[in-house]
Amino acid sequence: MSTQIIEDRIQSGDNTPQSPLISRGDKRGVTVAVAGNPNSGKSTLINALAGTRLSVGNWPGVTVEKKSAIFEYEGTKIRLVDLPGTYSLSPYTQEEIIAGDYLVNEKPDLVINVVDATNLERNLYLTVQLLELGIPVVIAMNIYDEAVKKGYEIEIKTMEEMLGVRVIPTVATKKTGLDDLLKAVTDITDGTFSHQPKKLNYGADIESAASAVEAQIRNSYPKLTEKYPLRWLAFKLMEKDSHTMEEINIGGTISFVDEKTEHLRKAHGEDIESIMADERYALASGLAHEVLKKPEFRKMEITEKIDKIALNRFLGIPIFLAAMWLVFKLTFDVSKPFADWMNSTASGPFKRWAEVLMSLIKAPDWTASLVTDGVIAGVGSVIVFVPVIFAMMFFITFLEGSGYMARAAFVMDRAMHAIGLHGKSFIPMLLGFGCNVPAVYATRTLENPKDKALTALLIPLMSCGARLPVYVVFIGAFFSAHAGTVLWSLYVMGIVLAVAMGLIFKKTLFRGEAPVFIMELPPYRMPSFKSLMIHTWEKGKHFLVKAGTYILAVSILVWFLLNLPWGVEQKRDSYLGKTGQIIAPVLEPLGFGSWEAASSLISGLIAKEIVVGTMGEIYVTKAEEEKKERPSFREDLRDVVVSFGTAAKAAALNVFSTPGISSLSAEEDEKRAGLKGEIQKAFTPLSAYAFIVFILLYMPCVVVAIAMSRSSARGNGSGSPLHTK
Amino acid sequence: MGATDILLMGLIIGGAVYLLYRSLWKKKGHCSGCEVGTCEMKRKYNSKDC
Repeated sequence: MSTQIIEDRIQSGDNTPQSPLISRGDKRGVTVAVAGNPNSGKSTLINALAGTRLSVGNWPGVTVEKKSAIFEYEGTKIRLVDLPGTYSLSPYTQEEIIAGDYLVNEKPDLVINVVDATNLERNLYLTVQLLELGIPVVIAMNIYDEAVKKGYEIEIKTMEEMLGVRVIPTVATKKTGLDDLLKAVTDITDGTFSHQPKKLNYGADIESAASAVEAQIRNSYPKLTEKYPLRWLAFKLMEKDSHTMEEINIGGTISFVDEKTEHLRKAHGEDIESIMADERYALASGLAHEVLKKPEFRKMEITEKIDKIALNRFLGIPIFLAAMWLVFKLTFDVSKPFADWMNSTASGPFKRWAEVLMSLIKAPDWTASLVTDGVIAGVGSVIVFVPVIFAMMFFITFLEGSGYMARAAFVMDRAMHAIGLHGKSFIPMLLGFGCNVPAVYATRTLENPKDKALTALLIPLMSCGARLPVYVVFIGAFFSAHAGTVLWSLYVMGIVLAVAMGLIFKKTLFRGEAPVFIMELPPYRMPSFKSLMIHTWEKGKHFLVKAGTYILAVSILVWFLLNLPWGVEQKRDSYLGKTGQIIAPVLEPLGFGSWEAASSLISGLIAKEIVVGTMGEIYVTKAEEEKKERPSFREDLRDVVVSFGTAAKAAALNVFSTPGISSLSAEEDEKRAGLKGEIQKAFTPLSAYAFIVFILLYMPCVVVAIAMSRSSARGNGSGSPLHTK
Repeated sequence: MGATDILLMGLIIGGAVYLLYRSLWKKKGHCSGCEVGTCEMKRKYNSKDC
C-alpha cells in the first residue's frame, strides 16, 4: 500500500473546523468520516489505514470523541475522522449526537460505513440512516473473516446493486481489503466512479408525507435546504427530533408537519418516530435477508461456551474477582524483580554517578544534595514502580481487548442496580483502575444525569495506578508472602465501598430507580501482541509524563521544605516537619500519627504516588548512611547489567511459580535497608494496612478534583456528571 | 550562603512552582487518558458537548 502518514493528530486541542490542507472541494484532499456500530472496528480500521494509534478495545464505547488522522494515498490527502460508535443517528446518547452533528454540519466528502459482517442486520440500520443524509457512502464489510468462519455467505455484488454503493470486504486487524477500500474512496471522490445510492423506499404513506414536508420546507424555509440534506431534514421534522428542532430554531412554526403526518399517525396508531424506526428496521432486515445466507445448523461458538460460565448468575462475580486476583498476582510476579532492579540502580549507581557529575561541575553542596536527596530520591522512588504500573496496564488492556471487561460490567449489573445504577456505570469505574481522570470524563457516555453524577462520585474509590506505588512499597515491606492477595483486597475494598456509598447516596441524594441496562457483549478475541503493547504504552506513559512534570516539581519543593529554614539540623524541625507535626495527632487514632506519614499525605494531595516520593526524601539520609565503599564506574555498570538479567530470570520464574508464592517472599532475607527498611521501622503491619487503606479513601488527587469540577461546571445537565436536574 | 545561592534557589523554586502550575492548573486535568478517548476535549466543530 502506498499510504504515507503525513500527520497523526489527536484533536485534543484543535478548534479549527478543518485542516487548511483538507478543505472540502479542494483538489488536494478529501475528508472521510468513519461511522459504524460500536465495536465494529472503526478505530482499528483507521489505525490500519493511517498507521495511527487511536485507542481500540474489544468493548463498545471505546471512542466517545471524534478523532482524526491525515495520510496520503496515491496523491490524495485523506483526512479520516473517527466518529464514536452508534447504533443509530437518533439524538439519545452523547455518541449519537456527536456523530450526527458532525455528519450533518461538517458534511464530509464521504462516509466509510464500517459494518460488522457477523452482525449484518443490526449494523444495516445505521447504514439506512447514513443513506438518508445524501453523503456518498462506501461500506467496509469488516470482520469479514469471522463471518466466513461462521459459514456466512454475503453476496457483496447484490448488496452493491441494492444500495447503489460500493461494498468492500475488509479485515482491519489483518489489513486485508484496505487497498480496495481506499481505491473505492478515491474513485468516488475524484469522480471516476459515479456514486448513485438508491433511494430507499419507506413505503407509500411515509414517502408521500415526506414529499409534502420536503415541498413545504423548500417553499417556506429555503435557507434550511442549503444547510441540511432535504430528505433527512424532512424525516427529522416528521419524527419531531428535539435536537434538530432546537438547532434549526423554527420552533412552533412547524405545525405544517403535523398536518402532513396526521393521517400516518391515525393509520398506524403510533407516533411517527416509532413508525420510521419500524420502517428502517424493516429495510435493514430485508436487505440482510436478501444478501446473507447463514448455515442451517449452527454449532455453539466458543464465545457462547465461555459466556455460559462467565455470565452465570452465581459464578459471574466470583469469576470476576478471581480474574482480578490473577491480574494482581501476575502484576506482582512479573514486575517486582524489575522494580527492585530499578530501585537498586536508582539508589545505587545512578545516584553515585549524579554525585560524581555534580562534583565535576563544582556545583554547590546544597545543589548536589537537591539532586541526589531531592530529585533522585523523590522522582526515583516513584519511577521504580513504572514496571509495576506497566504490568498492571498490560493485564487490564488484555482483559479489555479479550472482551472480558464488557462481561465484568454485565455481571456487576445486579450489584449496581442495588445502588440505583446499572452495569454501564461500571465501565467508567473500571477505567478508574488506570486513572480516575479519564474515568470521570467517561461518565458522560451515560445517558442519565443522575447516573453521571453518582458514578463520578464513586470513581475515586477505584484504586488508580497512582496509588499502586504506595500499595506496593507497603505490601513489599509487610505482606510480601501474600502480596497479590493483599493488593487484591484493596481493589475489592474500593469496589465494596463504592457499592456501600452508592447505597447511602441512593437513599439520600439520588433517589429513584435504575434504568434497564442493555449492552452489546462483543465476542471473545485474542488481542494481538502489537495492539497490547501500543495500548499498554498509551495508558502507562501518563505516569512517565507525571514523573517528569509535577512529581519532579513536588520533589524539589519538598526538598526545600525539608531543608528550610536554612541550616536546619533535624528534618522534623523543617517547615515540612513542623506542618506534619501539626497534622500528626489527627492521624494518631489511625495508627500512623508520625510527622513523616502526615507530611507524605499532604504532598499526596497533588498526586498519590508523591506519597512514596516524599517518604523517599524524608527517609533518604538514614538509608544513605549505611553506604560504605564506593564501587568504580565499571563495577556499577556491570552490576546494573547483571542485576537486570537476574531480574528477568526471577520474573520468568515467578510467572510459572505456584500460585501464592510471589517474588516478594525472596526479599525477606534481604537486609532491612532503604525506604522499605525505614517504613518497617516506622509502621506495624496493622498500621501499614491502615495507611494504605487511608491512601485508598482520602481525598482524590488535585487532577481528579479539577476533572470533576470542570465536568460539573459545564452544567447543561446532559454533559455534566455532577450536575443533576 | 551567598547572593548567587539565594538567586539560584529562587530560580529553582520558581521553576518548580511554574512546572506545577503548568502541569496541574493550566492543562486543567488533561492527561494521557485523553488519548484513550474519554477525556474532555476542547469544544470543536459544531458539536454541543465536546
